[in-house]
Amino acid sequence: MSNGFFNIKNGDFIASAKNKVNEVNLKIENQGEIISLLGPSGVGKTTILRTIAGLQKISSGEIFLKNKLISSNEIHIEPEKRNIALSFQDNSLFPNYKVIDNINFGKKRLNGNASAIDADEIIKLLHIEPILEKFPHQISAGEAQRVSLARSLMSKPDLLLLDEPFSNIDQSLKDEIQVSVKKLLKRINLTTIIVTHDSYEAFSMADKCGIILNQKLKQYDVPYNVHHEPNSIEIAKFLNKGVFIDVTVVDSKCAVHRLNHEVLGEIRGKLSNDFPSGAKVKLLLQPEDLIHDDQSKLKLEVVDRKFRGTNFIYTLKTKNGEHLPVFVHSHHIHQHEKSEKFGIKSPIYIDHLVCF
Amino acid sequence: MKKYNFWFFSSFSIALIVALPIFTVFFSFFSETSNYFTILKNTFLFDYINNSLLILISVLTITFLLGVISAYFISFYEFPLSNFFSWALILAFAIPGYIFAFSIIAFFENYGTAYSILTNIFGEYNYNPHIPKFDGVLGSIIAISFSLFPYVYVLTRSSFFFQSNNYIEVGQNLGLSEKETFLKIILPSARPAIIAGLALVAMECLSDFGTVSVFSVSTLTTGIYNSWISFDDLNSANQISFILLLFILFLFSVEIYSRKEAKYHQPARGFKPINKIKLNGKKSLLAFSFCFSVFLISFVFPVSQMIYWTIKFPKYIQDINILKINLNTLYLVGLASLVLVFISLFINYGSRISKSRILNYLTNFSISGYAIPGVILAVAFITFFSNISDLINENTNIGSTKKIFIGSIFGLILAYFIRFFSLSFNGIKSSYEKINNSIDESAYLLGYSKIKTFSKIHIPYLKNNIILIILLISLEIIKELPITMILRPFNFETFATQAYVYASQDLIEAAALPSLFLISWATVLILFSSKYILSRKN
Repeated sequence: MSNGFFNIKNGDFIASAKNKVNEVNLKIENQGEIISLLGPSGVGKTTILRTIAGLQKISSGEIFLKNKLISSNEIHIEPEKRNIALSFQDNSLFPNYKVIDNINFGKKRLNGNASAIDADEIIKLLHIEPILEKFPHQISAGEAQRVSLARSLMSKPDLLLLDEPFSNIDQSLKDEIQVSVKKLLKRINLTTIIVTHDSYEAFSMADKCGIILNQKLKQYDVPYNVHHEPNSIEIAKFLNKGVFIDVTVVDSKCAVHRLNHEVLGEIRGKLSNDFPSGAKVKLLLQPEDLIHDDQSKLKLEVVDRKFRGTNFIYTLKTKNGEHLPVFVHSHHIHQHEKSEKFGIKSPIYIDHLVCF
Repeated sequence: MKKYNFWFFSSFSIALIVALPIFTVFFSFFSETSNYFTILKNTFLFDYINNSLLILISVLTITFLLGVISAYFISFYEFPLSNFFSWALILAFAIPGYIFAFSIIAFFENYGTAYSILTNIFGEYNYNPHIPKFDGVLGSIIAISFSLFPYVYVLTRSSFFFQSNNYIEVGQNLGLSEKETFLKIILPSARPAIIAGLALVAMECLSDFGTVSVFSVSTLTTGIYNSWISFDDLNSANQISFILLLFILFLFSVEIYSRKEAKYHQPARGFKPINKIKLNGKKSLLAFSFCFSVFLISFVFPVSQMIYWTIKFPKYIQDINILKINLNTLYLVGLASLVLVFISLFINYGSRISKSRILNYLTNFSISGYAIPGVILAVAFITFFSNISDLINENTNIGSTKKIFIGSIFGLILAYFIRFFSLSFNGIKSSYEKINNSIDESAYLLGYSKIKTFSKIHIPYLKNNIILIILLISLEIIKELPITMILRPFNFETFATQAYVYASQDLIEAAALPSLFLISWATVLILFSSKYILSRKN
């Protein structure tokens, strides 16, 4: 069976008793794909990156790059011989060299060959021009992170590993840099694995996203599916996208599946898993699933309202004590106060009925 | 990486070499001795311990007062020449206790410098009965205190310096007076630094050999020396060493513990330097007078006494081969620094890349060499290599190997290595630890091999620190007396040994010139070192 461009087979990654990830199977089929690994802090994401880079040995399993075995119980290719670049989360710039010299250190791997991108382009793209002559201790954490990224890009690696690459960058620059870096990675066809705990970053940057929870790679899929069809309650809870409500499956055979909720009534949509009619299940209800309608007869009490810029999130209470989140555009004609009644369009239609 | 690799065995060998004197002293404690030790136990041993403790307690009290008060004035107040005193008080480090002792004798002796000054001012008269005599235990206490107080001064000042102004402002905000702020906030948080300074003073004081022997005071160190020199009884010498080592190792643990504590008292973030208060009137005069007196007594007094003698007795200038002594000193300093820095770099690098815990324990053990007094080290060194030589002699035809280690430059460098390895190793380690591990890893990932990472990243970063370590080792070796005295090759003199030899022949005035050269070298080294320390702070 082909290993694709990069492949981890049954990989066990152990940094400490608590910090370990077992039985990881992760394949990158084609060169140039961007993968993100998402999970809470301390779950072992960085350990995986360090092992791929060769800074740690794999506990068991195999890692292949360009069909060549680089890590296993018997084989461990030294980091300097892997042609894999890793941009660290903390400041790993060489303290006694200026920013420009740090970036030029990246050229060592090229052995005189031209890089796919030139230094000036990277410097401009990552907004590094004003700090080129400064030493690492004279720049901010966000600037250091950008320099580290530039240095890794300069080395023209086969595989680029980014550990929380944008965590220290100002919000105002972050979106712009994320877009530019993604464009650049795609243009130079550089395969990249990004580790992050920010789901927006993971979804926006990557072609495929892996979720690591409780020492396992729980789901590895395109970001759209991870978001809309998480394959377990724990992933849905981790992504913190909504709440679970108790429903009964009314009809799971027709093209449009139907569920019933004691207060909300009929809920229609497409079930992501198979359930027999009559089954009692938990349905994931996300804020965008319910639609506000002042004219609706289905009304619930407002218990909380949070302003989130472009929209408000209302928290509504059902008579059986469930709290349901609902998005309402912040320019909506009128806002509801606490204890007021809030109308919801019914019957409710949800594209992806994620039930467990 | 394998547990028992090349780095492990290298560190293990070095730990073993450094531990030689400790093991030798320990095992000798159970060996047979001549009658001398029995006589000693029944007669002078109590006096040795008594004198050592009396000197120790007095020196600790005086150095505490001199060090803490001057550090307090300089850290928190502005008064005439306060900036000058801030570094000038460190110059006392350039004066070893035994040179201070020469100066005291020269100044206060009958018909000495004090007598000449009084005669010149007030005319001929028998002033001798009126001039106080600082000899014996009192002289030793004064000489040792003024040569060692900079340990307390430097550590306390740096603790005051790192005390954020925030603490002081909070104290004032809570309604504390200036005096209460000092006693309740500033002094308690500087306590670990002060204790660390006093522990160093105590170790040096108990190790002192030169000063007490100039004043003919019998202490444990002179006892060790005499057992060996006068009674040719190495085992007795080692048994006294054992008693002294117990004291020293206790102090060593106090010092290590206090340093660890001191780290927690340094604010990590939000550091605000102290706003110095400008003093006027009597307060300003008090602060100035105190610092000026300390500077005058600790540095100006011995230096001017040595200059005065050199000029007064010019015939000794011709007798002493100054060029040769300079070259000898340079040779020793250069060779020892090279060996120490090279091996310290090597071991530091090894423990960095192998990340072995056992290796860490071993290297930590190796640094205990600094705690061993020079006299003990030298006597234990002779004991060990004499025993080895005898063993080889009995079992082979190789003959005596004593000459390789005793009375040779090789042996001297080896002894310096044992004594100063901790200074060099820790100095490099403290700087090395500032290089984050991810920096090495970044270099590997950019295609740099371990050797290239060492030469291109580590060495340029450590360069300034290495220079500083060389300066500090040089300073220690130039001042070092007992090891050089006991282990040097025949007729091989350094400034310290030349001065001591003259003084022990009752030719103290002849000791002035070598002492003056020693002080000059040491002063230059101190000034360069402080320049490096300041540039690193910037």
